[in-house]
Amino acid sequence: MPAYKTPLRDLQFVLHEVLDSTTHYAAIGADDASTDMIDAIIIEAGKFCEEVLSPLNSVGDIEGCVYQDGTVTTPTGFPAAYQQWVENGWPSLAQPVEFGGQGLPASIGSVVSELISEANWSWGMYPGLSHGAMNTIEIHGTEEQKATYLTQLVSGAWTGTMCLTEPHCGSDLGTLKAKAELNADGSYAITGTKIFISSGEHDMAENIVHIVLARLPGAPEGTKGLSLFIVPKFLPDQSRNEVRCGAIEHKMGIHGNATCVMNFDGATGFLVGPEHAGLRCMFTFMNFARLGTAMQGVASAELSFQGALTYARERLAMRSLTGAKAPDLAADPIIVHPDVRRMLLTQKAFAEGGRMMLHDAGFMVDRVKQGATEAIRDDANELLSFITPIAKAFLTEVGTEAANHGVQIYGGHGFIREWGMEQIVRDNRISQLYEGTTGIQALDLLGRKVLMTQGDSLKRFTKLIHKLCQEMDGNSELQPLVEQLQAANKEWGDVTLQIGMKAMQNREEVGGAAVDYLMYSGYVMLAYYWLRMAQTAQAALATDTDERDFYLAKISTAQFYFARILPRTLSHKAMMLAGVDSIMALDESHFAF
Amino acid sequence: MASYKAPLRDIHFILAEVFKVDPLWASMPSTADASMELADAIFEEGARICEAELLPLNRQGDEEGCTYLNGKVTTPSGFKAAYQTYAESGWVGLGGDPEYGGQGLPKMLTVMFEEMVYAANTSFALYPALTAGACLSLLAHGSEELKKTYLPAMYEGRWAGSMCLTEPHCGTDLGILSTKAVPNGAGHYDITGTKIFITGGEHDLTENIIHLVLAKLPDAPKGPRGISLFLVPKMLVTEDGQCGAPNQVRCGSIEHKMGIKGSATCLMNFDGATGYLVGEANRGLAAMFTMMNYERLSIGLQGIGLGEVSYQSARAYALDRRQSRAPSGAVSPEHAADPIMVHPDVRRMLLTQRAYNEGGRAFAAYVGMWLDLAKGQPDPVAAQKAAALVALLTPVAKAYFTDRGLDTTILGQQVLGGHGYIREWGMEQFVRDARIAQIYEGTNGIQALDLMGRKVVGDQGKAFKLFHQEVSVDIAAAEPSDPRAQALNVALTQLSQATDFVIQQSSLDANAIGAASCDYLNLFGLTAYAHMWLKMAQVAKQGEGDFYRAKLATADFFFQRLLPESGAYLAKVLAGSDTLMALDADLM
Repeated sequence: MPAYKTPLRDLQFVLHEVLDSTTHYAAIGADDASTDMIDAIIIEAGKFCEEVLSPLNSVGDIEGCVYQDGTVTTPTGFPAAYQQWVENGWPSLAQPVEFGGQGLPASIGSVVSELISEANWSWGMYPGLSHGAMNTIEIHGTEEQKATYLTQLVSGAWTGTMCLTEPHCGSDLGTLKAKAELNADGSYAITGTKIFISSGEHDMAENIVHIVLARLPGAPEGTKGLSLFIVPKFLPDQSRNEVRCGAIEHKMGIHGNATCVMNFDGATGFLVGPEHAGLRCMFTFMNFARLGTAMQGVASAELSFQGALTYARERLAMRSLTGAKAPDLAADPIIVHPDVRRMLLTQKAFAEGGRMMLHDAGFMVDRVKQGATEAIRDDANELLSFITPIAKAFLTEVGTEAANHGVQIYGGHGFIREWGMEQIVRDNRISQLYEGTTGIQALDLLGRKVLMTQGDSLKRFTKLIHKLCQEMDGNSELQPLVEQLQAANKEWGDVTLQIGMKAMQNREEVGGAAVDYLMYSGYVMLAYYWLRMAQTAQAALATDTDERDFYLAKISTAQFYFARILPRTLSHKAMMLAGVDSIMALDESHFAF
Repeated sequence: MASYKAPLRDIHFILAEVFKVDPLWASMPSTADASMELADAIFEEGARICEAELLPLNRQGDEEGCTYLNGKVTTPSGFKAAYQTYAESGWVGLGGDPEYGGQGLPKMLTVMFEEMVYAANTSFALYPALTAGACLSLLAHGSEELKKTYLPAMYEGRWAGSMCLTEPHCGTDLGILSTKAVPNGAGHYDITGTKIFITGGEHDLTENIIHLVLAKLPDAPKGPRGISLFLVPKMLVTEDGQCGAPNQVRCGSIEHKMGIKGSATCLMNFDGATGYLVGEANRGLAAMFTMMNYERLSIGLQGIGLGEVSYQSARAYALDRRQSRAPSGAVSPEHAADPIMVHPDVRRMLLTQRAYNEGGRAFAAYVGMWLDLAKGQPDPVAAQKAAALVALLTPVAKAYFTDRGLDTTILGQQVLGGHGYIREWGMEQFVRDARIAQIYEGTNGIQALDLMGRKVVGDQGKAFKLFHQEVSVDIAAAEPSDPRAQALNVALTQLSQATDFVIQQSSLDANAIGAASCDYLNLFGLTAYAHMWLKMAQVAKQGEGDFYRAKLATADFFFQRLLPESGAYLAKVLAGSDTLMALDADLM
């Protein structure tokens, strides 16, 4: 099992050096978030992740959760680790002070999330799912609901869930059936079955607060007839509510997290937000939730990279083609082989580039919530809505790719459970499915975010790229990268225009192009982040730094990314521009031949 | 749930219509007994056993796995009975030499059956596959006595085989292996050492298991030229060909794996076990390599088989599951939502699976054809050409089949959304089972090095020219305005450009081969599939009816939506090795 090491230096580079955290936190009025404080948080949380959570990762995978008569037992060590986490006050780190939180900006919470995600994703999903419930209640709940539920969720005494999916509907929530009927006391009786409820039942906290999507009597059909309800496992009067776990799923991965079938049998629920506005209410924080899932892709890339790098330095096989590198040993470490390096560098480029992208998004979340002016908040919000589907789908797709490279570097050992590399593949595979599949994210990006705004949302981002390229124009060492990015940036606008024209002729074109468009966008966006990192590294090298190697490695990796990964845009461009005809031509029944 | 019907119509199309096997087989003494009529009958019976006997054991085999107790391995429920039926029906010896009781059928035919077995139950498939591999080595290099003693029982399926190469410290780099073979005076050898990752090393399906073991003789030269091959039976065989006393070879444990849980992956301890030399001393690796082309092609079929069963299951789900409306308006307004098959992105995933599966199936037949020609072609010049093409195309087939196998099984899983992640649905098992195929029988990185270094640069592109000619002939035969032929021509030109570039670079930069190899192999595989799709489309154009229309629609999808990836592969090859080698190992 790869031992997890907190990527402290890289986080410092991203947060303090590239993103200039000092200026950022001052601008959002969070002056207390100093560099020292952030570093201390990373080190402390990292210690917990390395020492407590990481060793439980394979335990969780092998033991899984156990279901019996409505109760779920989590793997050995999970509840104790959670207790320790709560006692140390971690859940409340980036929550509002008025509900008992420590009031730090959201971005710092997401730095800590990254560490948990890398050390033990399954465990992290228990506190992680609380975020959706907290966001719902904080934004849409009444004062009384906040007093009753939010403080307990903030402290971590209780956890939360989001209950959306039903057996017959996941992507298409408009057809959902769970019912909510008004009780005499103003509460509602919720009846229905929800599936795939992560952390729906467990033994880690004393209460679980479910946020449930259901339909009121006489509600309009479709997505405009859904309302949100708070359904606690234990009601405020301590009585057991009629919500029970009916079974847990047997899954490919994330075995340590309970994926539950939840039966609501006239359970008492409390309306949150306006009637029939449930889906809209959910959308107010959907971006945050999706970024949380994007983190899984980055975390998988990082963890797999760490494991593979260790192995590649230790495992001996064959000689380097340019002559023995370790002549005193029977063979050279496999890191000398170009193809092994290709896989390692791909992992590294995704892990570090993805980290950069997500923490930049984290800073945007800060600006959405705490920006000094409305213009700043709006701009950040627009930018965030644009990059969220890309971050979610692209980073989880390349996360699986990176995890598969990790397995491949281990050769046959990669396929064996004890080494832990295959678990990362199995665990990460879900990230491409939940919180909206890759296909759904792609439709959201191309259909809703790009075409519906006539390309405005895209321009907001391409402007950033343009600005960076102008800033770096004439930079001799990095000029080829600047030119490559500039060309890609222009092309991004061009292909968008072309797809837009096609879509006006035929609405199917959007669905036919969407995933290639999203992946294309991801590669260009990641190139932007790599160039920013290279720029910062270059500037640092011009100073009297004693970390030359660190910065040189950044520039090298950026060059690798531009030479060997960015060309993938060629395929995606050709594929999406090929149009949808060949996709729609085959008759439904002819798929059987 | 998994649904699978053997793709008999497609197999018939490929063999009879695209490759016209009847005149081909009739032209060689070694295949003269085979005919399409016979092949169809075999496939029909093969489909029955795969669908009715093996498929139903697949999920359960994954859940139960194999169990190890005191040196014994128990296979999952039902495997033993199914194996009995399988062996008694003669499937193990399908491609075996008739002189020793095999049925001698062409590789072109057996690849199709092998694909079905992998589709129905990959874990099960590996037991007879390993036997077939061991038989090939034994047949090519064993003494007459060894062949007479072991081959008939192995072809019959009464005894199984295993290949014991890997050791804890070496897999890819067999030159450093440490298992020892010491002459014991009776003309035999005492074999001592530990082997790991031995597929089918121990199980309860057969009364005997014949291990082919790589080991070093005393004073053997260092490295790969000091390795010899030995036959080590689990049970020593008596003079009358019966199982006698147990040999000193024992299974020490089995691995817990990501997938293929019904297949026992064993750690084998040889403790002075009696072994018999196969072939010449110190020529063991070469002996293994002679069967490697057959084996690699066979293992590659795992990718296609799993891709096919994943496709069929995803297709069934996409027709059944209703979510949202078609972008162009409701297709089934009487229901709350349309079947997800209406959504372009779902169709894209299904068509991608389909195009890779069918392209791969045709390419398997194509490589199988060259194998048959290399073995049976009476004209030595033509046989030599066939052998050169086999050597060139085999690493492409193994790696490209299995890389696309992982991609397609992941797409199939994705079509099911969240349900794809749940074990009961079976889709995630296909992904887990497919993952190993990129690793064993030489990782796909090793295949790519073999292709790029040994097969392309090693002969300065001579074999590649043969392939180029073969493709060019088919392009020339198409109408000049045929967009498929034009697209293939573009890809072939890109592949040639990549080939020339690497051959030239390799004289300047020792890392050029390793830097280009993986992308080069992908470019090669994609071009080879495009070649197959052109061949298939040319035939389908002549046909009438839905089958042919579907073929052409899939061909168009392949050319328009998959083949364009060739440009990115070329760009990566042309990027050279600089950015790969720049970063010092410590700086990673």
